Amino acid sequence: MNNYLIVAGIIFCIGALGVLMRKNLIIVFMSLELMFNAANLGFVAVSNRLNLISGDVFVIFVMVVAAAEAAVALGIIVAFYREKGTVDMDKANELKN
Amino acid sequence: MEALFYIFAFIAIFSALMVISMKNPLTSALYLVLCFFALAGFYVLLDMQFLAVMQILVYAGAIMVLVVLVIMLLNISKLNAVKTDFHQKIIGIVIAAVLFAEIVVYTIGGKTKKPTGIFTHEVINKIGNTQVIGKFLFTKYTLSFEIASILLFVAIIGAYLFAKKKL
Repeated sequence: MNNYLIVAGIIFCIGALGVLMRKNLIIVFMSLELMFNAANLGFVAVSNRLNLISGDVFVIFVMVVAAAEAAVALGIIVAFYREKGTVDMDKANELKN
Repeated sequence: MEALFYIFAFIAIFSALMVISMKNPLTSALYLVLCFFALAGFYVLLDMQFLAVMQILVYAGAIMVLVVLVIMLLNISKLNAVKTDFHQKIIGIVIAAVLFAEIVVYTIGGKTKKPTGIFTHEVINKIGNTQVIGKFLFTKYTLSFEIASILLFVAIIGAYLFAKKKL
């Protein structure tokens, strides 16, 4: 199980790095998906190790949330692009000043 | 089994790195699909074939098609023009490294619990993993299931509102 958790941790950290480092909104969104998936892998590995099913059921709910989040987030990205003409995160500064 | 695990781990980590380092979002999206396939392989190794199929159908199918469609709608040359700052990169690498060190310390140093459930490899294979998940989903987790359907309904309304011409 430890091997699976280490792989999940590596993928989670790569996703976090993508969120922190990139400014392209679409790539930030995809890094978020990577983090979701790393968490899913952790759930499945632990529930396999403890002979439980709850973790696997929870993965289904995470997938539901990810699908809902994808629809709304991509809607926001398209609206942002229509407003600004770019997907640069630094241009989202209306609330400044 | 062991060899398969290392192959999948290599594919997953390599493609995850490619996702965040590629300049073109479309290339990133295709590497992300590869990463999802590797994770589906992990689920098969962990006796959850149903989740592997859902991973490929929902993630690699539905969500990534949506992402690629949005990339198609936007102007690709403007997408590639977004630059990353150097100091932002340094801060990101430091934070991710600290996070990873924490995860490794807790994973290696943590105590391993004894298995508490009854769903061993043999039991799951005898009942079938789809049946097991379905039984739990519709008995113990019925309320969560209903709330998930409400969440999807709200997401439909939200996506419709954002897609309108004037916000």
